[in-house]
Amino acid sequence: MTPRLLATAVIAAALAGPALAAEPAQEPLDPLGSVMWDVLRADLFGKAPIVFDERVTVSAPDNAENATAVPVSADASALGVVEEMVLITDLNPFPVVLRYHPVAAKPVIGTRIRVQQATPVRAAARTPDGVWHIGGKVVDAAGGGCTAPPVTYAAPDWADHVGEVQARAWAPTGEDKTSRVRFRVRHPMDNGLIAGIPAYFIEKLSLRDADGKELARLETLEPLSENPVFTLDVKPGASSRALTLTGRDTQGGEIEAVISLPWVQGAVQ
Amino acid sequence: MKRLFRTGLLASAMAVGLGLSVANAAGPTNDDLLNDAKSTGDVLTYGMGHQGQRFSPLTALNPDTVKKLVPVWSFSFGGEKQRGQESQPIVHEGMIYVTGSYSRLYAVDAKTGEKKWQYDHRLPEGIMPCCDVVNRGAALYKDKIYFSTLDARLVALNKDTGKVVWSKKTADYQAGYSATAAPLIVDGKIITGNSGGEFGVIGMVEARDAETGELIWQRPTIEGNMGTLNGKESTMTGKLNASWPGDLYKTGGGATWLGGTYDPETKTLFFGTGNPAPWNSHLRPGDNLYSSSTLAINPENGEIKWHYQTTPHDGWDFDGVNELVAFDLKKDGQTIKAGAKADRNGFFYVLDRTNGKLINASPFVSKITWAKEIDLKTGRPVYNDDNRPGSPEAAEKGKSVFAAPAFLGAKNWMPMAYSPATELFYVPANEWGMDIWNEPITYKKGAAYLGAGFTIKPLYDDYIGALRAVDPKTGKIVWEYKNKAPLWGGVLTTAGNLVFTGTPEGYLKAFDAKSGQEVWKFNTGSGVVGSPVTWEQDGEQYVAVVSGWGGAVPLWGGDVAKMVKDINQGGSLWVFKLPKA
Repeated sequence: MTPRLLATAVIAAALAGPALAAEPAQEPLDPLGSVMWDVLRADLFGKAPIVFDERVTVSAPDNAENATAVPVSADASALGVVEEMVLITDLNPFPVVLRYHPVAAKPVIGTRIRVQQATPVRAAARTPDGVWHIGGKVVDAAGGGCTAPPVTYAAPDWADHVGEVQARAWAPTGEDKTSRVRFRVRHPMDNGLIAGIPAYFIEKLSLRDADGKELARLETLEPLSENPVFTLDVKPGASSRALTLTGRDTQGGEIEAVISLPWVQGAVQ
Repeated sequence: MKRLFRTGLLASAMAVGLGLSVANAAGPTNDDLLNDAKSTGDVLTYGMGHQGQRFSPLTALNPDTVKKLVPVWSFSFGGEKQRGQESQPIVHEGMIYVTGSYSRLYAVDAKTGEKKWQYDHRLPEGIMPCCDVVNRGAALYKDKIYFSTLDARLVALNKDTGKVVWSKKTADYQAGYSATAAPLIVDGKIITGNSGGEFGVIGMVEARDAETGELIWQRPTIEGNMGTLNGKESTMTGKLNASWPGDLYKTGGGATWLGGTYDPETKTLFFGTGNPAPWNSHLRPGDNLYSSSTLAINPENGEIKWHYQTTPHDGWDFDGVNELVAFDLKKDGQTIKAGAKADRNGFFYVLDRTNGKLINASPFVSKITWAKEIDLKTGRPVYNDDNRPGSPEAAEKGKSVFAAPAFLGAKNWMPMAYSPATELFYVPANEWGMDIWNEPITYKKGAAYLGAGFTIKPLYDDYIGALRAVDPKTGKIVWEYKNKAPLWGGVLTTAGNLVFTGTPEGYLKAFDAKSGQEVWKFNTGSGVVGSPVTWEQDGEQYVAVVSGWGGAVPLWGGDVAKMVKDINQGGSLWVFKLPKA
């Protein structure tokens, strides 16, 4: 992990070199005091402006009971419009968990992640003005979540079920009429750190409504738990009776599922 | 995003710095592939040209200069997966693409041996490769590199990044299908065979759009099964029940597990087909078309132009997959468009490749018990009927016979080479026989479907392997090199009057192509069962071969397996060059 991060950092620094030097001195201090922050800041955000912002909240246990599946949810809806969110675990071998594009969805996401040791867990949300708003908390953990073999392999027929989706969508609620949707994709999500098991994980997911309009898009990475679960609040077109989930993994395996929306009186004219 | 960005940056740095971006990113065209046999700066196809001659026009290395051939670097395939390495490297613009055991693919810098990327295919637990977890090579076309995997998938990756572009299931691995051969690319179509002959599968040749992976046509090799074209049924292979009783054709074998060759002059694909299933021939009276045959196929639509069956009604596992190598036969002042095939059954066949008519057939091993000869008029073998293993009838076991060659073949998968300079074929042969008997059997999905028992025995105390130079005009053996262990690697020949092949003892060896005298050897540290290649880079001639003992011999070799059990496994790519003076 070190060489890769380092290489990236060097390239990023080379790119951003003069601009960084010219930047005003009021670079905000990391409230979580992470030793990795300087590296990650340059790597992930380059010279883009950042603010540590309490309006971006991360909910996660103070102490992870199961380091291979730590529930995390991030909420940036207090910012208004958000174009992209990034979930970051500073001290994991692969720090970036996922990138979320809430195209027609609330900037809210819930999932489960692996943690290798106690680490800050952050969400960064980019508003249309290009500013990254960052919130987070420290999750304590006994560790080892990224190097424990997936339970998936206890079943000899695991390969028959890769890519299967279980999902549920709820009726629209609230003023903005968002529908909560939760789905689980069966996948070992191998991160390549376990001897003899090559990296093999879901890399893309996209949710569309019945009109084919994209509602949400995810770029998923190594720290996600096996059989990952996602919770999103999306805004499908009024006449949509179902959502379509598509995706693929790093070996070209395709994911496709239709998720029914609950019937609502008067939704279809 | 982070990684994408970085790759983009590196790519543009290369483009600006080295000024070779366009050709580099675009990759070889169809014309480049068609010209591969003549171009000396690369190795773009399995077989070093679609015809599969494995001949290089390079002359810097010759029986004198080869003494100065030295290793440049060696690259380890890594991991604990050191099983048989039967791959042929592909070389393009300073990059080597090579496959390893367990469905792995590597891109390595040809000058330095530095790895650029690696793809490890995640295999399910239930794969059923009969004869080791090998792979024989990749195919390169435009910006993609392709290879087949043991779980019967075809994977296309970006050649510069190793990212998967598409991955298509070609067959059901749980029914016993797998895939180990290098794909063949003709006019934008990627053409593949299938493996699984010992599980009662149906042999198949398939063409897909190389860009998208969408299926274009399928041609089953066993008569009675229906082909497809553009998603619709096309024509039936052969005639239903003409040479197969009942519904045995539905599990009739004939796997095309070695892939095929292509002849641009006649615009024809040549695919060899495996043995019929089950092995017990008494269950399936008839010729069992088109098992143990060579099929000439139209690449446009998958229609069979002609067939030549080397072992009709096979009862010895004389699988007919061996490659048909197209060549110009110069005989009696004429030049005939011919093709040659050194068959597993011990005969070296020369066919007219425009129509499949037999020109000559001669033994290339010392002992053939199952047939007296091949009748040149009818093209059919003259059987020794008492050398067919007996029917078990109601018994547990039928009459056992000693037959030669053994079921692993006078020549197995390992490809021969043809030199237009010496007009000789160089055939990696093995001298062995077997006790074989039949047993009752019924088909069960995903279970071995043999109905036979067998054990291999060497014929001679001092050698099994024999590299033989065969004159296709006469069928005579011009020279031979004997090797203690069975030969299991491919052959390469050059205009520099050299022949290269590897041995299980670990050597890559070079021979004088005219005399057969051994002129060079180098021990790679594990058995060599891959196919060597040569090319020119920066004015120097290079040679590459994979090393890593394995394949079918240690798994199926009976007495012979005992003989080779102490050979250490490995997994590496060796690169040699003749340094400038």
